Amino acid sequence: MKTISIALKDLQILFKDRGTLFQLFVLPLLFILVFSGALGAISQADTVTIPTLALVDLDGAEAAQTILSKLQADGSLTVQSYSAADAQAQLDAKKVVGVLTIPADFTRSIQQSQPVTLVLTSAAEADVQVVEAVRLVIESIAADMTLESQIIASLEQMGAMQANAPEEYQLFTTERVLEQAHFQFETAQARPLINIVQSVPQQDEAQEATPDLSQSAVPGFTVLFVFLAAQTTARSIYEEKKIGSFRRLVAAPLSKAELLIGKILPNFITGLVQIAVILAFGSLGLRLLGLTPLPIEKALFGTILIAILLALCSSAFGIAVAAIARTENQISGLSTLLLWGMGLLGGSMVPLFILERFLGPIPMIVPHYWANRALDNLLIRRLSLPDITLELVVLLGFSLLFFAIGLWRFDFER
Amino acid sequence: MPAILEVENLVKKYGDFEAVKGVSFSVEEGEVFGLLGPNGAGKTQTISMLTGVIPATSGTARIGGHDIHKEMSQVKKLNGLVPQDLALYPTLSARANLNFFGRIYGLHGRELKERVEDVLRIVALTERADQVVDKFSGGMMRRVNIAAGLVHQPRLLFLDEPTVGVDPQSRNHIFESVQRLNRERGMSVVYTSHYMEEVETLCNRAAIIDEGRIIAMDTIKNLIAMLGGGVVYVGVSQMDEATLAEIAALPAVKEATLVPQPATPPAPEGKEPSAEVKPVTTTPVVKVVARQNQQAVVNVLGYLNQHDIAITSLEIMQPNLESVFLHLTGKKLRE
Repeated sequence: MKTISIALKDLQILFKDRGTLFQLFVLPLLFILVFSGALGAISQADTVTIPTLALVDLDGAEAAQTILSKLQADGSLTVQSYSAADAQAQLDAKKVVGVLTIPADFTRSIQQSQPVTLVLTSAAEADVQVVEAVRLVIESIAADMTLESQIIASLEQMGAMQANAPEEYQLFTTERVLEQAHFQFETAQARPLINIVQSVPQQDEAQEATPDLSQSAVPGFTVLFVFLAAQTTARSIYEEKKIGSFRRLVAAPLSKAELLIGKILPNFITGLVQIAVILAFGSLGLRLLGLTPLPIEKALFGTILIAILLALCSSAFGIAVAAIARTENQISGLSTLLLWGMGLLGGSMVPLFILERFLGPIPMIVPHYWANRALDNLLIRRLSLPDITLELVVLLGFSLLFFAIGLWRFDFER
Repeated sequence: MPAILEVENLVKKYGDFEAVKGVSFSVEEGEVFGLLGPNGAGKTQTISMLTGVIPATSGTARIGGHDIHKEMSQVKKLNGLVPQDLALYPTLSARANLNFFGRIYGLHGRELKERVEDVLRIVALTERADQVVDKFSGGMMRRVNIAAGLVHQPRLLFLDEPTVGVDPQSRNHIFESVQRLNRERGMSVVYTSHYMEEVETLCNRAAIIDEGRIIAMDTIKNLIAMLGGGVVYVGVSQMDEATLAEIAALPAVKEATLVPQPATPPAPEGKEPSAEVKPVTTTPVVKVVARQNQQAVVNVLGYLNQHDIAITSLEIMQPNLESVFLHLTGKKLRE
């Protein structure tokens, strides 16, 4: 209860400080807007050319030809047929965005209404957005073919039954035929005959695919500004010590743990609100502005888990800074040097895949890197929660390390 | 009266530096006890140990029967601390500050509301309770600072230099509040100050503390009585032991001693003394502790005239805690 009282008091003070509120909630959105716009423009500039898709036709029959002609007719892709080896060479040489492989029994499976799988292989470095667009085109054509095939098969079946039945048993009225067509239409949507499987060569998962630059601004600035909020904790403790109220708190019947948790809690709560505001903007705001939004709703639980660990790590870092810094200048200096420096190194301002090309494993030494990687993998590369376990564990480790430094160095007497 | 506070040989060390050198004193229930000493004497350090802000290096103390080493959580509930700093949140109102400090002492609901109203009345700030503290005058802030230490109704209140930087009107308000708390509610108070008038006005007893040590402790009356009728400092052209003994034997003179002269500061190593550095005056100064001040002055000046000893300066000090401190330490309280 006393801990809550300290936290509420600090939040009350915080919400009277317009400068800090601006820095916590408005500045990140401005940064995201500017960077998303700028990076989005760079992405668009790169995707003006029509992508080329290599087609490996192992079937060579009618349905495969239909796919080829429909892809060519679509106009959004250039499609060229290759042998499997040549297609791989084209992919390695980055001359094509992906390779679509039609299996040997494709036409027969379609004719027998049996499920069949097309494999779309994309290059590890390919632009995720372009590959996604190609996949959607193939998926759309496959869906049309599924529907067409199933409706024709159904009508043929009905025709055969009609022809063999006596006149008094004519069952297929116009209503029955329409009903059957609707059923086939729904079945084609729910259980498509043709499935598309996407794969990235030499990678088990699609995690090394290059993220959309404009999307990466949202996780990057979320991480940067949540960590920047750590200086609010450090400053709040410094202010308490400067005005003497910290002595008053130490003299009150409070344990040191209650006191420290009370000072950490506001930053933790503010961090969570900050993440919610920034990610909501990344999802809804960017959509409204015509920029690429983040699909947070598809990974809500994982996002919440990352948010909790991120806010915790930032709060713990605030305590560590408060414990190490002795003066206001030291707090400002440490905050500027460490938080902006770590943000830059950890991929908050420059996308991680670019940083890693230049710096190799160096960014791994800062918590920002792991937080950015967790958000990127979950929200941009669409990996599942178990896939980001390492990132979450490392973030927790950093939090514990910062707490330990804070408790070890914290001076309650000064 | 039982003692609310008993301090025994309390020591605080920082490395080799001893900030508090074994102080011992006690405060009775319902007493206003003064700790008088100059800045840096060890008053705040002593209070900080007794309120659990810093741990004592050695020695012990009991507050309300609870040991500060073993039962600090009990001790903290009995204590109220009004620090020397304005330990308030400037962007919050006086009421919000008091509500917060009440809550961290476990008060809530109706009890908290009543206690906050009560302390606002005590410090005469009910009308301004909802104003932001930042807009208050220095004196009003001091009064809120005191109220924050009172909100949980402590049995023993530590007031650490509560009138620093305060206008006379607010100072009077603070005095009245302390006296009323003590008189009407029986609150025990430890009051530290380097203003001797405050300690003389408010306290029943006082300890004079200097360089981490208590150098005198008694009732205010007895402390002042140490000096009899006052002290006279007489600068003379010459003085010897025999003359000094004759002055000490004069009627109305209790004691006569030579004031030690400060040495001339040495020249920096490897340099000749500079002509610009004037040596400290070497004319002797006789300190006369009087039984009766006016009579002693007449007697001493008469004696010096008779013996053709030129008088270079004369300072007459009425008997008070300031002159007691000067008498005991050779320096002024506000040096």
